[in-house]
Amino acid sequence: MAIPPEKSPVMEMRHISKRFDATQALDDVSLTLYPGEVHALIGENGAGKSTLIKIMTGVYQPDLGEMLLDGKPVEIRNSQEAQTHGIAAIYQEPMVYPDLNVAENIFISHQDRGPVVRWGKMYTDAEAILAKLDVRLDVRMPARGLTLAAQQAVEIAKAISLEVRVLIMDEPTASLSQHEVTQLFKLVRSLCSQGVSVLFIGHRLEEVFTIADRITVLRDGKWISTRLRGEVTNDMVIRDMVGRDVKDFFAKGTAERGDLLLSVRNLGKAGVFHGMNFDVYRGEVLGFAGLIGSRRTDVALALFGIEPADAGEIVIEGRSRRVTSPDNALRLGIAYASEDRRQLGLVMPMSIVSNISLPMLSHYLTRLGLLRRRKEIATAEKFRQRLNIRTPSVQAEVARLSGGNQQKVMLSKWLNAEPKLLILDEPTRGIDVGAKAEVHHMISDLAAQGIAVIMISSDLPEVLGMSDRILVMREGRQMAILDRSEATEETIMAAAMGHQSQSHMGVGSPEGKA
Amino acid sequence: MSNNPSTPAPTSSGDSFFSAIWRRLKSWEGLLLVILLAIFAINSSLAPGYLTIGNQINLFILSIEKVIIALTMTFLIINGEIDLSAPSILGLAACVTAALYRGGMDFGLAVVIALGAGLVCGAFNGFWIARVGLNSLVVTLSTLIAYRGLARAIVEDASIGKFPDWFNTLGQKNLIGPFPLALIIFFVMYVVAVIILQYSGFGRQVYVIGNSKDAARYSGVKVRRVKFILYLASGLVSALAGVLLAARLGAVRGDIGYGYELDIITMVLLGGVSIFGGSGTLYGVFLSILIILNIRNGMGLASLSGHFQTGVIGVLLILSVLGPNLFNQARASINRRRLRRAPPAHPVT
Amino acid sequence: MKTLVSRFRPEQIRLLFLIALMILMVVFFSIEIPGYFNARFVNRISTSVVVVAVLAVGQTLVFLTRNFDLSVGSIAGFTAYFVGQQMWWHKDWSPITAVLIALGIGIIAGSINGVLVAYGRVPSIITTIGTLAIFRSFLVEYSHAVPITTNNLPRWLVNLSSVVLLRIGEVQIRALFAIMIGVVIIFQLVLTFLPFGRRLYAIGSNPDAARIAGFPAQRMVFLAFLISGALAGLAGFLFIGRYGNVTVLAGIGLEFASIAAVVVGGVSNAGGSGTVVGAFLGALFLDLLENSLFRWQAVSEFWRDFILGMLILFAVALDNVVFGRLKNVWARAGLQMSTEESNEPEVASHVE
Repeated sequence: MAIPPEKSPVMEMRHISKRFDATQALDDVSLTLYPGEVHALIGENGAGKSTLIKIMTGVYQPDLGEMLLDGKPVEIRNSQEAQTHGIAAIYQEPMVYPDLNVAENIFISHQDRGPVVRWGKMYTDAEAILAKLDVRLDVRMPARGLTLAAQQAVEIAKAISLEVRVLIMDEPTASLSQHEVTQLFKLVRSLCSQGVSVLFIGHRLEEVFTIADRITVLRDGKWISTRLRGEVTNDMVIRDMVGRDVKDFFAKGTAERGDLLLSVRNLGKAGVFHGMNFDVYRGEVLGFAGLIGSRRTDVALALFGIEPADAGEIVIEGRSRRVTSPDNALRLGIAYASEDRRQLGLVMPMSIVSNISLPMLSHYLTRLGLLRRRKEIATAEKFRQRLNIRTPSVQAEVARLSGGNQQKVMLSKWLNAEPKLLILDEPTRGIDVGAKAEVHHMISDLAAQGIAVIMISSDLPEVLGMSDRILVMREGRQMAILDRSEATEETIMAAAMGHQSQSHMGVGSPEGKA
Repeated sequence: MSNNPSTPAPTSSGDSFFSAIWRRLKSWEGLLLVILLAIFAINSSLAPGYLTIGNQINLFILSIEKVIIALTMTFLIINGEIDLSAPSILGLAACVTAALYRGGMDFGLAVVIALGAGLVCGAFNGFWIARVGLNSLVVTLSTLIAYRGLARAIVEDASIGKFPDWFNTLGQKNLIGPFPLALIIFFVMYVVAVIILQYSGFGRQVYVIGNSKDAARYSGVKVRRVKFILYLASGLVSALAGVLLAARLGAVRGDIGYGYELDIITMVLLGGVSIFGGSGTLYGVFLSILIILNIRNGMGLASLSGHFQTGVIGVLLILSVLGPNLFNQARASINRRRLRRAPPAHPVT
Repeated sequence: MKTLVSRFRPEQIRLLFLIALMILMVVFFSIEIPGYFNARFVNRISTSVVVVAVLAVGQTLVFLTRNFDLSVGSIAGFTAYFVGQQMWWHKDWSPITAVLIALGIGIIAGSINGVLVAYGRVPSIITTIGTLAIFRSFLVEYSHAVPITTNNLPRWLVNLSSVVLLRIGEVQIRALFAIMIGVVIIFQLVLTFLPFGRRLYAIGSNPDAARIAGFPAQRMVFLAFLISGALAGLAGFLFIGRYGNVTVLAGIGLEFASIAAVVVGGVSNAGGSGTVVGAFLGALFLDLLENSLFRWQAVSEFWRDFILGMLILFAVALDNVVFGRLKNVWARAGLQMSTEESNEPEVASHVE
């Protein structure tokens, strides 16, 4: 990585390592940021990007390694110190104060604007900063009333007002329209021209190649490469990210596809998604691919009754149904394993046993409504064996388990519900490789047993390896349904980014081709 | 009430009977037992011959109304909610009974209607909290005022008494052996409550919702239905308490039961039930009930006024939450210091 | 239209709605009750609203931090008694001293609440239910149930409620009223123009962002309770100024009235929105309602509490259901314009 530095770096991360319990989140990672430059940081989920950002902003402290600002070592112990050093971060969900107006949002963290708030001056100063960014906003409007893109602009304005030197942007484009992304990039360029160093984390390679001057790839907590944009191609980056030949990692057997289980026609929810048309067959794995913000989870929540759709219909086994609540969905044979394992998928302080039996609690009661603990424990033991859950006892608190084992408990819970359709949302996110493989095998087995599986995943190789068909979404719309045979990373990405080249907007045709 | 999941709760349900018991003995309930014994000792020194079953029974009879409301309050707080209006429902039921009877209605019917009124009050609470989704603090605070106002509107300034004789002594008269009706009612309710909370599916759901309302919902638990049922129960039991209180006092005024929420909530929180929801048991609540009843009695023996006693209960209430908080904060900072001194982590397996 | 949307937010519409309701109420009662609306009525209202209004100001600050202060009634009661007693024993002390004593006691009491909630992390409901009892029992013990009557008090204190500062025709601007208005104005200014006030809104509006920005949330919550206590103390002074007699029951129920006032006045317990002026209007609304109902034979005074409780509930329900949706409409309106603006061709924007 011989790059002659034209200017001296504003911030350097040297040999940073960080570990959480059993996971080495970062292992000897180094990164250099130069003023006026956009440095892209890419990697799959779990590659360590967000940990690195949290260390830079003072939320975590590194176990090993050091950080330098202007060549001098610094310790950043909390977010206040990060701000003092001129480091700020903007996340996918902008952190604005919804009840305060734009001008106030920009200046609220300032310590030195005097003992009295001068509203007139604040409005003028705010307009000045926004003008510098070529953004036109009504500074008197409460932040709640702004679009996501506008809120991000406000955050950027805030960073400028605080004379930020390093601005970290974490997936800022995830929920933006094409047009808004262009505007955001203009803002970023404007920032750079003022000497700010931007660390840009993004998933959409196309965008990364547009905006970045330098690209660093992380994988599994390790630094893989840093190259100037001009020296890098799409393939090189993907290979660095994935590190293996994509096709033959997951061996999903081609199972016999059964008959039609569920059909979705024109399903929509105002402001969230619309026009969903697809079929799900018993025994098949239907992968849901798409970038962050494509609203795949929302479709799942509509199928599971958490956020029911308001348009279109769901046909289950030939009958049109309304799914109004989760227990309703369960009775119809639909189960959903959330991507948020800790808050929604499991009840952390409770035992493995209690978590597994929860959706089917009525099956574990005597006629009087008393709990059949022995039956619960037997069920838990059964799943412990079947999924190879590593734990000293099934009575242990779920919070004590490793991520992979927690995931297995969550899966056990839904398997126990004996669903006809199992929707898995990012089933292997944040778990180690060994557990990942076990989960994949289990999914294959399920399909082989005739269960229909919808697998939502942002992990392209996983989607490609595991799915019989792949449905690609983008920003709440269905872009394509690709058959396994014709799907490649390129075709999926193309559909996910909006090019409808090979889309079969197909719903089940008798020939079985999606 | 925000959820504070950073530290595991002292006790939780749903686990094996024996491991749960052992954990309890080591922690909060153990502490309560020690405190209770200390109070017994102090009280005995103030009044020799204090420690008799008869005396304890008397204490229960005199506070039976608060105690049974504490039972339903336990369910609600474990569920992550609260019902501040319970004492007002108590008052309303008492006033309804008295007013109807004074108006010439058959007494038994008046009681039934009063209980019905309690159900309606509970349903009203449940509607706004469970169905509409408003904050339970604000709703029950407003109904605390409203139901009390309703009671006062019914009874106005008067004091209504002269209930049938059999009613007045119902609470005190010994029904089975040395146990009067009021005590039997408590006993039965306590046993039923324990069975439901610790051993039934419904109780499991109560805990789960208190731990994480969202996770419960995502697991197919009918969260709104459970909450609604709990508020119905709270209304009914509060009304029952109101009827019992009317019986015991023999007369009813518009402000009957005023201020009970302090003792009731203290009984629950001191018993180890976390205000943030998701943990606590009725065993602890039973111990804390004993503690509070005996503390009040002891203070009375020491000639401390009722108001002073109330102040002490207020202190106990605050301590029952402050204590664990400080303890957890201390433990967290010790852990942090220990982590900082620890050598770097081993490479991942 | 654009200016309209950006200048008049749902919160302001709500206050206008409240004012409209009050006007309607006055009109209604003027029809029903002969001789209802005259200068004497205005003067009476201006005095009777004083205590609750001052408490409501303090409660507003507490609400902005997503907390409740249920102990204000007990603090006010105790302060009223203590001040009365001190003035009884030291008849030559000046009024300023009385006010200072009242504030001092309020500050001490408020600090206790503040320490427990902010640093002890005891939820404010629990804390203030506890301190409500503790302060009340303190009052009873301290007073030995000896009531304070007007006979005991210095002349100026007894006459305080009738001291008139200004006359406009028949309408009197009384000293007590002036003090209350002063408090309302001061704190409205604090919340609008002091960084402390603005940060209070911030930590209620988005506590996570506030934490990351490093706002001293704990200290601010402590201060909110301290101020609430101080104002409760002042309210106690106003209480004895108004009534002259103080028993151990003084102030019971005032906390509920103050909460009703702020809720009706549009202050949300979820933090981030609501103003002192709104709380004052809420207090005014309630006082108006109570005084009017009292004179109107159709509804007996015993229904007072019931109406109070129902008002709180409906105000909260209305806020949640109706105004919540309204906020989204506003948001969407704002949405369109921002997009329009950003859709306009960017002049003079260069990509390097």
